[in-house]
Amino acid sequence: MSQERRSHFVPRTTEGRTAVGAFVVLFLLSMPPVTHSVLDRPDVWIGGVPVFFAALFVVYTALIGVLLWAWRKGV
Amino acid sequence: MEPWVVATSLIFIYLLATIVLGVIANRRMTGDMEDFLLYGRKAGFIVLYLTVVATFHSAFAFLGSGGFFYTHGIGFWAAGTWTCLVGAITYVLGPRIWALGKANGYITPADMLADFYESEAVRVAVAIVSVVFTILYIQVQAQGLGYIINIASGDRISFEIGTLILLVVAAAYLMAGGLRAVYWTDVIQGVWMYVAVWVGAMYLAYELFGGPLQLWAEVRAQRPDLLSLPGPEGFFTPGMWLGMTITLSFGIVFQPHMMIRYYTAVDAKTLKILGAATPIYLMTLYVPAALVGLGGAVAMPGLEVPDRIFPELLFAHAPPILTGVILAGATAAAMSTLDSILHANMSVLTRDVYQRYIAPEREQGHYVWVGRGIVAALLVVGYFLSVRTLDFLVVLVTLSGSGALQLMPAIVGVLFPTRRTLTRVGVLTGLVVGLVTLYVTLVVVPHPFGLHGGIWALLFNTAVTLFVSAVTEPPSDETIERIHGEVERQIYPETSA
Repeated sequence: MSQERRSHFVPRTTEGRTAVGAFVVLFLLSMPPVTHSVLDRPDVWIGGVPVFFAALFVVYTALIGVLLWAWRKGV
Repeated sequence: MEPWVVATSLIFIYLLATIVLGVIANRRMTGDMEDFLLYGRKAGFIVLYLTVVATFHSAFAFLGSGGFFYTHGIGFWAAGTWTCLVGAITYVLGPRIWALGKANGYITPADMLADFYESEAVRVAVAIVSVVFTILYIQVQAQGLGYIINIASGDRISFEIGTLILLVVAAAYLMAGGLRAVYWTDVIQGVWMYVAVWVGAMYLAYELFGGPLQLWAEVRAQRPDLLSLPGPEGFFTPGMWLGMTITLSFGIVFQPHMMIRYYTAVDAKTLKILGAATPIYLMTLYVPAALVGLGGAVAMPGLEVPDRIFPELLFAHAPPILTGVILAGATAAAMSTLDSILHANMSVLTRDVYQRYIAPEREQGHYVWVGRGIVAALLVVGYFLSVRTLDFLVVLVTLSGSGALQLMPAIVGVLFPTRRTLTRVGVLTGLVVGLVTLYVTLVVVPHPFGLHGGIWALLFNTAVTLFVSAVTEPPSDETIERIHGEVERQIYPETSA
């Protein structure tokens, strides 16, 4: 019966929980307050670009990496 | 040869190519409604990938994003958050939507919601939201196209004539080849716009500054105000960052022209890799946009219309052939979104209105021809909206970005089996409350307490949906079992066998 169906909001596999957890943590790094405090340093530069731009590029790339990892694992 | 001749010629060559693709797509058609409206549910990864990214990135991504960096500075790099979120949403929701569409023959978003909530009122409400909040994008894209051809021709082709030409071309290949023509042209458009933005931005960076890193150094020296939050005009507050992330990810994915794409995949695996790979294209397109906008603020300050920064820089500093190729790319960006919105509105009006309430039980070919007639009517409406500025339209455009977001509780209720199911009364009440709240928090008192109005509306919508659903009658056990059972089998096949 439908009332007995398990919720889909919580992943049921270890890989699923890992993917969701990693994505959420990384996503929070790309959101306020991190963006508006830790990363908002126009005086700090990495590799010739502002740390804000460089750090978020790394976070975005990591988010894509999590999605690709989940796909490879069949999550 | 003068720059405007090259630019205009390349745009017209590009338009001719789309017409040819429309004719070829027409010859591959079977005359079946699913073939015309859903590409026969046979879209593979490459075609689906390029149509999704080209549709998501409109004229705004090509022109407006540069203008945003130009005006508000580095804060627009927030775009990366919502593009990554679009990938995750596609990864999680795409296979569920695909499975239900395949199993139950859904063509539009309203098909899915009306079936689950057992309600024609839900169908009508979703169809209205789908059309009202996306038809205005026809205006936005058509205006962008008219503007592009106007500046490409050096003001020799008027905005009105340019808009008409490009609307007619988009409608023509859509009417000829249906969604197949849209997908095939999107493949060209997706590749062209990506290459055009990168090549144009890098050319300008080297031509004006000696390279991207030197460009950043010049911005630091001359416009340091563009490199911190919330930007020179205080736009990118934390609340606005959060609001744009939610409304420009969920809000766009839930628009019919995006949701319908999930129905068209050849299988669920295609949608998963689509979700994982989509942000690569979407996010990286904003890197050259940042170079154009920030570099433009240094090289060409005081521009009256900041959205013009990219074409203005090209006309001033790039060779004519490159300018032409890139402006044809801008045309591609706008047309790939315009054709998809025309198609989605045609599908909703044909399926949810005409077939459901006016002429059910007719032959498949009849509906295909009605769809073509609806595209012609949308062409007229789109042109009228594009060349007239009406006060109420300004209000609706303000609302449109967050309108489809209000479908979120209802959609999540279908796609995520839970112990407590949402109800038709709950989602309808929540939708009405959400839309009223949207009007208040975007138009009457814009963004209360610094939080985007779309988020306020979604919060009120969700709270009312949950509360009313708790005290009203859920869908029948049979329907819940059929639909949530299908989702369970799709996502967890090993435990549902």
